[in-house]
Amino acid sequence: MSRKVALYGLLCLLCVPFVFPTWWMVTSSMKPISEIFSESLLPSEWTFSTYSQVFRMQPFGQQYWNSLYIAVIVTAGTMVVAAMAGYAFARIRFPGQNVLFVVVLTGLLIPSEVTIVPLFQLFQSLGLTNTHWPLIIVPIFGAPCVLAIFIMRQFFVALPPELEEAARMDGLGRAGIFYRVALPLARPALGAVAIFTFLHSWNLYLEPIVYLSTPDMFTLPQALTQFVDIYGGPMWNVQLAAATMTAVPILVVFVLAQRQFIEGLAHTGVKG
Amino acid sequence: MSRLTALILAGLLALTACSGSSAQSGPKSLRMTVWTANEAHLKLLNEIASEYKASHPDVTEIKFDSIPADGYTTTLTTQIAGGNAPDLAWILEESAPDFVASGALAPIRGKVEKVDELVPSATKLWQKDGELYAYPFSTSPFGLFVNTSLVKDVPANWTWDQAIAAAAASGKGLVLPDFKYQNWAVLSAIWRGWGANAWSEDGRSCGFASAEMKDAMSFIHKAIFTDKAIPGPGTTVDFFAGNAAMAISQISRAGALKDAKFTWTLVPLPSGPKGDYAVIGQAGVGVMKRSKNAEAAADFLGFFTNEANSAKLAQFFPPVRSSLLNAETLAKSNPLIKPEQLQSVVVEGISKGVVKPSHQGQEELNQTIRAALDPLWKADADVDSVLDGVCAKIKPLLERK
Amino acid sequence: MTFWTYRRRDNLVGYLFVAPALLGSLAFVLIPLALVGWYSLNEWNVLGGTFEFIGAENYERLLSDEKLRESLVATTWFAAGLVVLNLSLALLLAVLLNQKLRGTTVFRTLFFSPVLVSLVAWTLVWQLMLQPEGSVNGLLGVVGVDGPNWLRTESAAMVAVIVVQVIKNVGLNMVLFLAALQGVPAPLYEAAKIDGAGAWTRFRRITIPLISPTILLTSIITIVGSLQVFAQIAVLTQGGPGTSTTVLIYYLYQQAFQFHHFGYGATISVLLFVIVAALTLLQWRMRRKWVLHES
Repeated sequence: MSRKVALYGLLCLLCVPFVFPTWWMVTSSMKPISEIFSESLLPSEWTFSTYSQVFRMQPFGQQYWNSLYIAVIVTAGTMVVAAMAGYAFARIRFPGQNVLFVVVLTGLLIPSEVTIVPLFQLFQSLGLTNTHWPLIIVPIFGAPCVLAIFIMRQFFVALPPELEEAARMDGLGRAGIFYRVALPLARPALGAVAIFTFLHSWNLYLEPIVYLSTPDMFTLPQALTQFVDIYGGPMWNVQLAAATMTAVPILVVFVLAQRQFIEGLAHTGVKG
Repeated sequence: MSRLTALILAGLLALTACSGSSAQSGPKSLRMTVWTANEAHLKLLNEIASEYKASHPDVTEIKFDSIPADGYTTTLTTQIAGGNAPDLAWILEESAPDFVASGALAPIRGKVEKVDELVPSATKLWQKDGELYAYPFSTSPFGLFVNTSLVKDVPANWTWDQAIAAAAASGKGLVLPDFKYQNWAVLSAIWRGWGANAWSEDGRSCGFASAEMKDAMSFIHKAIFTDKAIPGPGTTVDFFAGNAAMAISQISRAGALKDAKFTWTLVPLPSGPKGDYAVIGQAGVGVMKRSKNAEAAADFLGFFTNEANSAKLAQFFPPVRSSLLNAETLAKSNPLIKPEQLQSVVVEGISKGVVKPSHQGQEELNQTIRAALDPLWKADADVDSVLDGVCAKIKPLLERK
Repeated sequence: MTFWTYRRRDNLVGYLFVAPALLGSLAFVLIPLALVGWYSLNEWNVLGGTFEFIGAENYERLLSDEKLRESLVATTWFAAGLVVLNLSLALLLAVLLNQKLRGTTVFRTLFFSPVLVSLVAWTLVWQLMLQPEGSVNGLLGVVGVDGPNWLRTESAAMVAVIVVQVIKNVGLNMVLFLAALQGVPAPLYEAAKIDGAGAWTRFRRITIPLISPTILLTSIITIVGSLQVFAQIAVLTQGGPGTSTTVLIYYLYQQAFQFHHFGYGATISVLLFVIVAALTLLQWRMRRKWVLHES
């Protein structure tokens, strides 16, 4: 019994740094600016004017939509590309396979700061700056996709070969086996890929700043930096209100679907 | 040309990056990067733009791109590197020497209306070999804002000793809102009173180890850690919310006091051991030489900064035209500040002021000096040896050409 | 026999399946990387628009660059601190949550939640909380600890950026460990218990070896990730105080984007890439020594 109490105590204590920042973000966004640095856990007077200010200062609804639709397309695209590549690298034998896999894996090792200038030149020469294209196709086909490919490959490697043998006996071709047999089994890994990818796209910061130049095109992380007063000083409480609006919906979705989320995640790399 | 090689190497079709400055005819669209995202600012900018478009049908669009002030120059540079230079750009004073010296900007002297009435102290930073490369659309002197609800007696001719004593006595202190223990150049608003300089006039030798600088910095250090008159590093005290007794800030900040719940006044910077002085901060707007529409952009810049528009911009950005630089004109757009304050702080400040320190390779100097000054912001710091250390670090940077 | 044997068709499908990823890697990773390599051999002044071939000069500069040396030291501390703290905390949390206890789902959700908060929002919040009068020191004050000026004191700033980063991301590794722990067969523990092995011995002799594949995966991802932490440093400390938190990626950013030395920035990029690749290769090589069931 006392062991349980101690365990709960420890868990609660460990929770503080994980929960407090979010709590602070939400409550402070409703505090008057003068109270942001006060110790109080709750605002002395609740103000929601910061929330309307967010929408007045920026096309925040549009920016929300930008972030959302980009993240959804990137997630769907990455799932397709990564599942196909991961499957081929894991289950199909073809000449040069290992070399090609290593080539693809290079992407995992490169921070985006390193290649941003050449990539910017590429999209500039294609006339695609200040469009959402770079934020969509680079993640789907480029470096950010590599982790997804890796996860999918690790999953497919562990798949028992008997399933495929049976399907082949039934006369299914490779594509058929992939689509009818392997893919349905890969749902948990795909779930993990979806979460990773969505979060990655949702959080992208450097790229939007470099590629996008008009507020209507901005994505949320970039928009967060735009809440400044007339002299460029940050308006903390408005920023926090905007930050709250970017974080809370995701948190709610997560809490609702957390079992699928975490179990999906857990299926990656277990057999690493 | 070797950029072309680079792109061929990549097997890319280099369509735009190398097409350089071949002039475009037909309808033109202009893009100006700015660091404000403020509604009121953008509204005014767009008004001026629409007026220009009305009289220039060949210019179909003038777009103002707000880039976050934090990292503004970085983003601008990335766009230039990627071949997407804007047609016009706001330029921070600290990047002025880099932009002007590098040849990235197009000459504009011929385009500026009544160029001779620009105050010489304000255009110095933006000139090279007698040519003007950017228009200083905002020239904002530093002044001392005092919360008179906290400090009752404010003589117009304070000395630094008296001002710091009053700040300490108020219990609320004096703040430098832009300093944050990082933007050290803001401190020039104090150390100029001691006659100290970051570097010599020609920019080749370091001034941090001078006797004047050591005296001034010792004074600042004492004010922070002994007198407790200036809040220490990391503390955020907002003068404009009424939490500090005084603030050293640029005059353009006065607007933030519109809804202040306290009474306040504005006086010139206190005098130091070397007497009266003034320090100004600046921002310029220039035309990028590589812009396809450089000609049209320069033309728009001329319109943007003509007398009438300068007067409009004056409500946010103090002007450098001598015709506008008088208390009456300024009072129209700055209703918050009394004419005599405008006269003593703004008019005299701009005409006799010294611009905050800037140098070619400013950002590298900035970072190096910031890092070297960090040990100073401790109670037990040895001021002299820290300052000697600053010079040791930046000497190679100053000597590089 | 037709030309299209099963094997031939299989090859074709294989190539077709990897084609999108491969072409993407080529266009968005390898070619840009080659370009960066090319830039590193040049002096590129972005503002002036000059681009000049200078051969290995930038690489010679690497050797004599004192700031680079400081930066490598900071990077080592940061990466080491981050990896050790992240992995041990993740494992601790996973072990705690693997107990038979009511409400572990709630705790699991709470520990995982920072992963979902956007990075910019997260660093913004911590930046405000880490001020000397901010909530962190407020909370520490409650338990009688007089907190330092986190972001302005050398050692404290390093600790702060590491902790902020770990709390943000440790949930991912925790979940991976949790799944691995749940895959350890219970009878093994029972048998060890009967043989008289204590809890620590069981953990060291059974748990660790059996989850070693997961430890490998998480440590690779975490190390690689630790060398790419940029936005947090940019917002929280700007590399200071002094140069104490100027990690390599931040130094690269300073040189290329702030000081306009694109060529030299590219050279540091190449160095960073070599370091990351070498570390990963080393871990991969060493896996046979300690990872169970690796062929």
